[in-house]
Amino acid sequence: MGRRTRTTGVAACWLLLAVSCGDDESSRDSTEDTPEGTTAVVPTDGADGSVSSVPASDGAAGSAPSEEAQVEAAQAAALEAAGGEEIGGSVSLLGVLGGEELDDFLQVLAPFEEATGITVEYEGTRDIGAILQTRVEGGNPPDVVSTPGLGQMAELAAQGEVVDLNDLIGAEQLAANFSPSLIETASTDDQVYGVFSTVNLGGLIWYDPNAYDGPTDPESWEALIQWSREKAAADGVTPWCIGLESGAASGWPAADFIDDILLRQAGPEFHEQWWRGEVPWTAPEVKRAFETYGEFATDETLTYGGVTTSLTLNFANGADAMYSDPPQCYLHQQATFMGGIIASNFPDLEPGVDLDFFPAPTFNPEFEGIQSVSGEIISILNETEQSTALARYMATPEAGSLVGATGRWLSPNSQVEAEIYADPFLRRASEVLQEASGSHYLGNALMPTALVEAFWQSGLDYVENPDELDQILSGLDEVRVEAYAD
Amino acid sequence: MVTTRLVQTVVAVVALAVISGVYLKAGGRLISGMPTRLRGVAAATVWVGPAVLIVAIVLVGPALSTLRLSLFDGDGDEFVGAENYTTAAGNDEILISLRNSVLWVVSLPVLSVAVGLAMAVLADRVRYESVVKSVLFLPVAISAVAAGVIWRFMLDYRPPGAPQTGTLNAIVTAIPGVTPVAWLVDRTTNNVALIGATLWTQAGFAMVILSAGLRSIPGELSEAARLDGASEWQLFRRIKLPLLAPTIVVVMTTMAVIALKAFDIVYVMTNGAYDTDVLATSMYKQLFSDRHQGRASAIATILMLAVTPIMVYNVRVYRREAVGR
Repeated sequence: MGRRTRTTGVAACWLLLAVSCGDDESSRDSTEDTPEGTTAVVPTDGADGSVSSVPASDGAAGSAPSEEAQVEAAQAAALEAAGGEEIGGSVSLLGVLGGEELDDFLQVLAPFEEATGITVEYEGTRDIGAILQTRVEGGNPPDVVSTPGLGQMAELAAQGEVVDLNDLIGAEQLAANFSPSLIETASTDDQVYGVFSTVNLGGLIWYDPNAYDGPTDPESWEALIQWSREKAAADGVTPWCIGLESGAASGWPAADFIDDILLRQAGPEFHEQWWRGEVPWTAPEVKRAFETYGEFATDETLTYGGVTTSLTLNFANGADAMYSDPPQCYLHQQATFMGGIIASNFPDLEPGVDLDFFPAPTFNPEFEGIQSVSGEIISILNETEQSTALARYMATPEAGSLVGATGRWLSPNSQVEAEIYADPFLRRASEVLQEASGSHYLGNALMPTALVEAFWQSGLDYVENPDELDQILSGLDEVRVEAYAD
Repeated sequence: MVTTRLVQTVVAVVALAVISGVYLKAGGRLISGMPTRLRGVAAATVWVGPAVLIVAIVLVGPALSTLRLSLFDGDGDEFVGAENYTTAAGNDEILISLRNSVLWVVSLPVLSVAVGLAMAVLADRVRYESVVKSVLFLPVAISAVAAGVIWRFMLDYRPPGAPQTGTLNAIVTAIPGVTPVAWLVDRTTNNVALIGATLWTQAGFAMVILSAGLRSIPGELSEAARLDGASEWQLFRRIKLPLLAPTIVVVMTTMAVIALKAFDIVYVMTNGAYDTDVLATSMYKQLFSDRHQGRASAIATILMLAVTPIMVYNVRVYRREAVGR
């Protein structure tokens, strides 16, 4: 008996060993293979667990001759960026994209791979804050990072982990291709830590012109909310739909809009003090921004399926209910990239006819015309021939126009003209930006990582329990105090 | 690149084999050269020494350094005494993760033994037993991340009236008058859902071990009991279950350890949102989001302290069994 049990025990231990090995492997899987990001990510629920660690496809030339010309120009620019020779080898790139967004981003890199022979190994994760930190601390940083989280890159730059692009690309080249404000946004006091690859215009409201009968140029936020309430009361249909789920980054769509509201309600000056950690989260301005968001987001009668649906719906499917038959909602708030995601979810939609947007109306007449932007930057952590070439390539107008040609993102490159946008949304978004009296970067991309994640989480908490706003804000303020302490 | 790695690996393997061989030879010679009264000590030192050294380097060392770090501040520079522990004790997030871990440690072992035993006993009685067991064992081979993704689909929520894409909600709403449940958001169901997903990946493992245990009970015992007029239930309850007790202990302790180190399923399915954090995810967040080594180490220490009694108990059971032989 004793012997037999012991044998069982040993067998159990062997199996246990096998199981724990399996666990190790799967946790590695989870760190490397869970795509989906923070500001711009996967279009479907299904992409949640899928592998996105794929090398960029080569040969991206489309059918239109102008596209071909663009790609050829980009190849020439890439070759020049690589010092005129096919270097070969590979460069590892850690980013947040997955699914079709990733495919489109890789299209921008395809001419680079083609011309230089360098393979770009893109690895997508929605948990970039933690993953990047782990990799850096483990002495295994990716060569290049493509991230919307500027705050984290600034932290890493302060620790001396990021290569100064003034040296690598050259201050003149940067100044020739990017506006001073974009360069400054991705700089610390003594170095440029990133070069912008994509830009999104925030605070947009998407709608289906066939179904939406409300104001498309509402004079104020109150007017839009007023319309929503009347519509809900009259038709019994919830006017708004919201999707806040995004894996490890869940809650960011709420945080993004609260951020945008704060910027345009309390003004850019306060907004900057806020993301720099100089004013408390318990300030009345911050509370008001949350409450303004809550006017529709916490109202069960105004959001599709109520709060529970907002919390469980993946942000990429956030607007799907606009196109169910009959529509379950009419309005969806999200930045420019949402147009591409909706179009991927419903390939038959005709942009401008079945889908359109208007910028969220003024929250405060004093700050009319202020717009928020977000985007992604490329930063170099490992200076190699290949990563240097990639950074130089991304700073060229040729790469910049390919970004615009994807139809998903605005190009950060100042040499890129509005005409290159084949996509009507992007063309209009770029006009809105040009007309804006000022554009400011979203604060939640600039804050320290711990605070950013707490802010995202607070988006979920507030939508779920609006009555606890004061506790949520004082909790956030505790995180702020600690995050800016060092 | 790949070829250099291959060459390095081959060299390392050969070197390791040569060094081990030399060590064994030299050790043997050294011991036989010793005076008889020292031989016992020498043999123990020579043969057990390397194992002890390796354990000290890869286990004891890091454990001690974690313990040390748990008494320092976030950057590991300044000694703060027990502050990390007191902060943890006052931190809602960490307390919730502690509560959840307790829930996991209690329910996962109990559930997996119950389910595993039921499957083992029932599968034993059918002709196509091996097929049934193989199917039930399959989820064990699935990585926790994949299991998490699968279960997220299973537990998907859509508002009432919309087509339910989640299997569970599709079943639930088939009953008239029942509304879909947001399994992973609702605080009464989310922890259970996570434990359930883990159970799905582990029950097959419990079944295999328990089934082996059942097999090892001599058939004569059952036969004798039946001759004495015992019912099937009595046979199970009075004969098989007591004889199976040591195996059950093995399964339960294994599951308790799995419950304590649960991470992947939670990370993939909820990432700790809506009060579902467990100690391991909470530690991960403290370390990589909040960048607070001190508090992360304090949580790791708590985890280690929680596992220790289970391991001590496990070792004792093994010892008792060995003596009983």
